[in-house]
Amino acid sequence: MIEVEDLTRTYRRAPLETQVLRGVTFRVRRGEFVVIMGRSGSGKSTLLNILGLLDQPNGGRYVLDGTDFSRAGDDERSAARNRKLGFVFQQFHLLERASALRNVTLPLLYAEQDPGDAAGRAEQALQAVGLAHRARHLPSELSGGEQQRVAIARALINDPAVILADEPTGNLDAQSGREILEIFRHLADAGRTLVLVTHDRSIAARADRILVLDAGRIVGQETVASHAAGAPPGAAGHL
Amino acid sequence: MSRSQRIARDVLSSLAAQRSRGLLMMLGLAVGVAVLSAVIVIGQGTRERILGLVEQHGLDMVMVRAGGDVQVFAPQADSGLASLVEADARAIEAEVPYVDLVSAVQNQRGISVVYEDRALITRAFGVEPPWLAIRHRDVADGEFLSESDMAAMARVAVLGVKVARALFPEGGAVGRTVRINNDPYMVKGVFIELGADAAGIDDWDDRVVVPLTTSARRLFNRPYLEQIVFRVTDVRRVPEAAGRTRDLLAVRHGIAPGQPPDFFVREPEDIEGAALDTASTLSALLLAISLVALAAGGLVIMNLMVASVSQRSREIGLRRAMGARATDISRQFLFEALFVALAGGAVGVAAGTAIAAALGAAGIASSRVTWVPFAVALVACVVIGLVFGIHPARRAARVDPAASLRGRAA
Repeated sequence: MIEVEDLTRTYRRAPLETQVLRGVTFRVRRGEFVVIMGRSGSGKSTLLNILGLLDQPNGGRYVLDGTDFSRAGDDERSAARNRKLGFVFQQFHLLERASALRNVTLPLLYAEQDPGDAAGRAEQALQAVGLAHRARHLPSELSGGEQQRVAIARALINDPAVILADEPTGNLDAQSGREILEIFRHLADAGRTLVLVTHDRSIAARADRILVLDAGRIVGQETVASHAAGAPPGAAGHL
Repeated sequence: MSRSQRIARDVLSSLAAQRSRGLLMMLGLAVGVAVLSAVIVIGQGTRERILGLVEQHGLDMVMVRAGGDVQVFAPQADSGLASLVEADARAIEAEVPYVDLVSAVQNQRGISVVYEDRALITRAFGVEPPWLAIRHRDVADGEFLSESDMAAMARVAVLGVKVARALFPEGGAVGRTVRINNDPYMVKGVFIELGADAAGIDDWDDRVVVPLTTSARRLFNRPYLEQIVFRVTDVRRVPEAAGRTRDLLAVRHGIAPGQPPDFFVREPEDIEGAALDTASTLSALLLAISLVALAAGGLVIMNLMVASVSQRSREIGLRRAMGARATDISRQFLFEALFVALAGGAVGVAAGTAIAAALGAAGIASSRVTWVPFAVALVACVVIGLVFGIHPARRAARVDPAASLRGRAA
């Protein structure tokens, strides 16, 4: 699903030149839940931005769902962000003045084709994260965990190939964080490909595989075996 | 729905959800459009009033009289001087600029008009058909003299309203035959009531008018004219046309420089022409002011939108992550500028025309409400929205999504 080969990214702000990624190579299979771990400054946010087609590498190759995006232009990358990717952010990034429902429909605004019954699809997506009853609420009327679930519904509405999450539990209390993580686990079990960036080891335990990034390189890789068997369905039970 | 339509709808619901932002932006433009609309409404009203004055007072007319004396008001006696001829009228028509209608005029007092046992003595005029328009007269019943009446030297007459009432107290003058100096004339029409002139000497309602050919060959039986009247296409050109007429007639009549002329060219006092000039200068000034106000309104929109681009960089980044192309983002901000401008324009045009109409109703200014301010406001707001929206829209499109999403706080 994702092929990254010798990816480099350098930020130039004269006279400084900071090499953030120094040749990153890895693959993510379809339906795999991969966590990228690293300290701050390790380059994980930059890597996630490149994977999310929000930033472009200086060198190397990035193939997403069979298409090489290493040199793609803005329109092509925007269309792919819309169709193939779903984003979940640490700060949720919901439109404050818009209801949960309208937030979830946001990606449909930028769809190539007429999305048809946008509200109906958004309601389904909210139902999938257990928030159908909160559809008319503004983000300020929702708890942090609920806001993040709205964001997940928004990420799912276009049925993306890959969901990218950047510290999705970083702004949540422990309980809400666990619930969100269970939703991710469940999505992966249902065949969705997930890439999650975090510095929190306890989150990594729920993934299939962990990539450790340090100073712009992958320095370690481990497969997690413990998560699947007998894991309680928890909050994601209805997915 | 196309993507643009979806974005436009999204902008409308965002503006609806956050009215204070839009209200602040449209305020400046609303003021500009209000001033502009008021200027247009009052300008049109003023123009109409002045044109009405021109109409009423014949300010676009020049009169040439036989005889060299200065005659401000109608002379007590008709001149009978043998100085003006019809060829002078044709020469004016052909050679004087800004002249569009010319009529040679004969007149004579002491003409008897008789119908059955009723009789009166009045003043008769022999005129050409353009005379009616030149003198801003009109016919209430029947019709005025025609070119074929001229060609036929027809014995037809149009009666002043006093003459008609005296001879036909029961009405129905048109189509009857009256005797003018003992010859039968068919009544073709009756003038509308006009009243006496300012000096009270010349009563417009106490006269009969016949074709010039008829008066020259039959009624008065002489070729000389008392007057030539002509209409000038532009009130402001009256002095120039009058001057050229003086020069032309001096040459035609062989008047040597320094010698007194045997004619007198009377032009309307130029006060109202000056008023028209003043009014158009004033409205040009107000127009300039309102254009400045509009530009200021546009700048307000632009600056507030540029500020909002920085405030909303996180939102822009989010939309980019959700699949918005750079062009979708610039379109969003352009639509926002356009909608705000149109809303401001709608408020402005409503307020401006209402204020101008109220001033008109209160008698402070002349006003006339037409579709013009609405059309002008629509065009102005679309142009302003686009022109002043482009800069913030381009800035919004250049926001780096990766950097903007890193911003703190939800």
